[in-house]
Amino acid sequence: MTTSYTKSIASHELPATRLDPELAAKRAEKIKVSMISLCGCWGCTLSFLDVDERLLALLDKITILRCSLTDVKRIPERCAIGFIEGGVANEKNIQTLKHFRENCDILISVGACAIWGGVPAMRNMVELKDCLSEAYVNSPTAVPGAEPVVPFDKEIPILTTKVYPCHEVVKMDYFIPGCPPSADAIFKVFDDLINGRPVDLPVSLNQFD
Amino acid sequence: MTTTLVIDPITRIEGHGKVVIEVDDDHNVVDAKLHVVEFRGYEKFIQGHPFWEAPILMQRICGICFVSHHLGGAKALDDIVGVGPASGVYLTPTAEKIRRLGHYAQMLQSHVTAYFYLVFPEMLFGIDAAPEQRNILGLIEADPDLVKRVVMLRKWGQEVLVAVFGKRMHGISSIPGGVNKSLTAADVDRFLHGADGLPSVDRVIEDAQLGLELFYDFHKKHRSEVDGFANVPALNMCLVDADGNVDYYDGRLKVVDDDKNVVREFDYRDYLDHFSEAVEPWSYMKFPYLTELGRDAGSVRVGPLARLNVTHTLSTPLAQQALEKFHAYTGSRANNMTLHTNWARTIEIIHAAEVVRDLLLDPDVQKDDLVVTPSADAWTGEGVGVVEAPRGSLLHHYRADRDGSVTFANLIVATTQNNEVLNRTIRSVADDYLGGQAQITEGMMNAIEVGIRAYDPCLSCATHALGQMPLMVVVVDPRGRVLSERVR
Amino acid sequence: MTIQIEIDGIAVTTEEGGNLVDVAAESGVYIPTLCYLKAKPVLGTCRACSVKVNGQVVPACTVKVTDGMRVEVNEPETADMRKALVEILFSEGNHNCPSCEKSGRCTLQAVGYEVGMMVSRFPYQFPERVPDRASETIWLERDRCIFCQRCVEFIRDRETGKKIFSISGRGTTARIEIDPELANKMPPEQVREAVDICPVGTIIEKRVGYDDPIGRRLYDVESIRDRALERHAE
Repeated sequence: MTTSYTKSIASHELPATRLDPELAAKRAEKIKVSMISLCGCWGCTLSFLDVDERLLALLDKITILRCSLTDVKRIPERCAIGFIEGGVANEKNIQTLKHFRENCDILISVGACAIWGGVPAMRNMVELKDCLSEAYVNSPTAVPGAEPVVPFDKEIPILTTKVYPCHEVVKMDYFIPGCPPSADAIFKVFDDLINGRPVDLPVSLNQFD
Repeated sequence: MTTTLVIDPITRIEGHGKVVIEVDDDHNVVDAKLHVVEFRGYEKFIQGHPFWEAPILMQRICGICFVSHHLGGAKALDDIVGVGPASGVYLTPTAEKIRRLGHYAQMLQSHVTAYFYLVFPEMLFGIDAAPEQRNILGLIEADPDLVKRVVMLRKWGQEVLVAVFGKRMHGISSIPGGVNKSLTAADVDRFLHGADGLPSVDRVIEDAQLGLELFYDFHKKHRSEVDGFANVPALNMCLVDADGNVDYYDGRLKVVDDDKNVVREFDYRDYLDHFSEAVEPWSYMKFPYLTELGRDAGSVRVGPLARLNVTHTLSTPLAQQALEKFHAYTGSRANNMTLHTNWARTIEIIHAAEVVRDLLLDPDVQKDDLVVTPSADAWTGEGVGVVEAPRGSLLHHYRADRDGSVTFANLIVATTQNNEVLNRTIRSVADDYLGGQAQITEGMMNAIEVGIRAYDPCLSCATHALGQMPLMVVVVDPRGRVLSERVR
Repeated sequence: MTIQIEIDGIAVTTEEGGNLVDVAAESGVYIPTLCYLKAKPVLGTCRACSVKVNGQVVPACTVKVTDGMRVEVNEPETADMRKALVEILFSEGNHNCPSCEKSGRCTLQAVGYEVGMMVSRFPYQFPERVPDRASETIWLERDRCIFCQRCVEFIRDRETGKKIFSISGRGTTARIEIDPELANKMPPEQVREAVDICPVGTIIEKRVGYDDPIGRRLYDVESIRDRALERHAE
């Protein structure tokens, strides 16, 4: 724990090299998308990359701002589309999801975790206090003779009692089921949105597993 | 007064982490830590579930290395149902080769994704280039043809995974005692000769060398910077075969030191005799270390750099050629230069592509003797499975009762093994790039992330465990001294 | 006796007294079902086959067609009602499709796809449901039970005709039970029958799972809609 006499600065607030104005101008004309993985396994983000060759043509029409794949750590300007992977499992997830809701016109719950909690939500059926011992106190690799320590620090977020689907925290506009959804399913929804069509996921692309 | 510099979140890695660095008034780095901020609970909530579900469930710990978890779980299940020397019942050659095929195909696509999309941007644009440029968008703007080749390379690996698992990610293949399908002649033909939208294996082997060529180029231009970046001494660990060479699917665990002397070599089933895990309050990720050596001296490095430090040779020709050059660079000593992990990664890309080709050419992968069923009295109820995931040694340990439910699960994941080394790397880079600097820039902070990205950490994997915030009330005086403390 | 009815505005000629689900399928109209088993007594427990007959909402499986009947299947309000029903079933239990061995051959999942379910409009309950593993061959995964009662009615002890499965409790405390003694007497092909007629992954055979690879599972090969319509193709 640090004292109250510290000044905290985030790296993304520090002076940084500016993007080449020509590149920036080209990107500014495109539809802006931001992406995040909350309590997810990153699988839906990777499934997005599985659009393979279509990625280059897609990135002609959209540009990605905040995303774990870019180095942009906060949403810098309003986005048309927010791609949300993962459910809500800690207080930081809640803050981040709200930040996305405030800064994106449309939010999409991508994958089982965002839609209903997914595999991490299996902890909803287990008593939170019982799990404490399992990982950190009664672990078979616990250091012999050491005082059991359970992580608790201002730098790490507090867990929510249950894992929540995203739409139980903020309004979500579209849902793409799957674990992960296929690249084709993700592409179809993006394609509908960027071409101004009503979003329509055909039965053949809807998979819950 | 201290200044706290925060990287939140770390980007171009898998998972959620932040770095907090404390700098005093004289611009000296006082502390630097990697806080892993996520938390899931797999070890707890799998209990009570059918044990045959374990690989299918556990693989969802991570989207990029799901095959590793799937196979770690599958090998533990093999132990549980009694496959092995005690019963004399072993996996069929087809089953083992199908598993290896999935494993090496994953290594190919995972390393390609990590190297080109996550690590390479700094190599092309520089550590302090515009953040908006240091990523796949920038790569496409600067060199779309390179990205097209990378996309096809990754796609080929992914399609092999579809042939084995039925899906590109989180599919189904392993069952206790074997696998549920093998390849068809049509599958093999597609991968060897290519098809519409799919390169041939020869093209894949060619493109697999791109990463290495780009590294050589980059290294030539920036030798002292690359070599001087974060030299972190550590022990090196990986799975090895009977000759002491790396085997990514199975073997014994071997640990070597800076002089490549063997410090430990053991059956991974005895891991509890060798490893402990310390817990710090400021991170959900634990700190494994070799118990006898203590935390300082006993922390190990795993992953590409560690593996190439441990192994004498690689079993495929192009990779072996590259390995000889890699080994020659540090002579008889281990390589501790953090950015050389990226070099090692490119060699593993080549190795993975060659191994996948060899397996595709092996007629066993098309046969249909897929499963062995040991008799009911071969049941042991306990199993450990270790594989070399792209990021390093991954361990799954389960117990199940005869009714079929999992009663216990413990995982030690590659990135967790690297926790201590990661923290040392962060401290080293912070000292070098931030220490003594009055003006800190975003580029300097990115240097710390560059150090982290060399390990290609998978923080989702590392925090499969579940814990809870206790309620703790601490009363401190104005100088921060604790007056009293109460914990619930 | 030959009669005429109307389904979604189209005239259909058929025999009097036929089951509406079958009659609709014969004329190319798919009505989703969960508890209905052709050639077995109608249960009417799931209500997923709800349609409008002469303006009133009824489960189609309980309807025997009569002359002049006006049936609405794909009328938007009714279609949405069926979808809501399926969504309730998903959010009531713990339906973890990603790791379930029934995925790809699960009737609830297949019907979910057909009604266009993406997410449940109802709060996800995450109930605590304990599995039953007392029998030697059957694992009862209560997380997934939708209380269709197919097992209760149709899986009987071969000697005595006694029920092997039953429902205990009521409302939110209801749960599916298995008699382990009788279950242990079930011959292997009856165990498989129980596994097959369970429309979800509640009745599963111990140690057997994922034997069908993705791509070769029941509904990977042919969708539930095509199967239903084909069964009745002339």
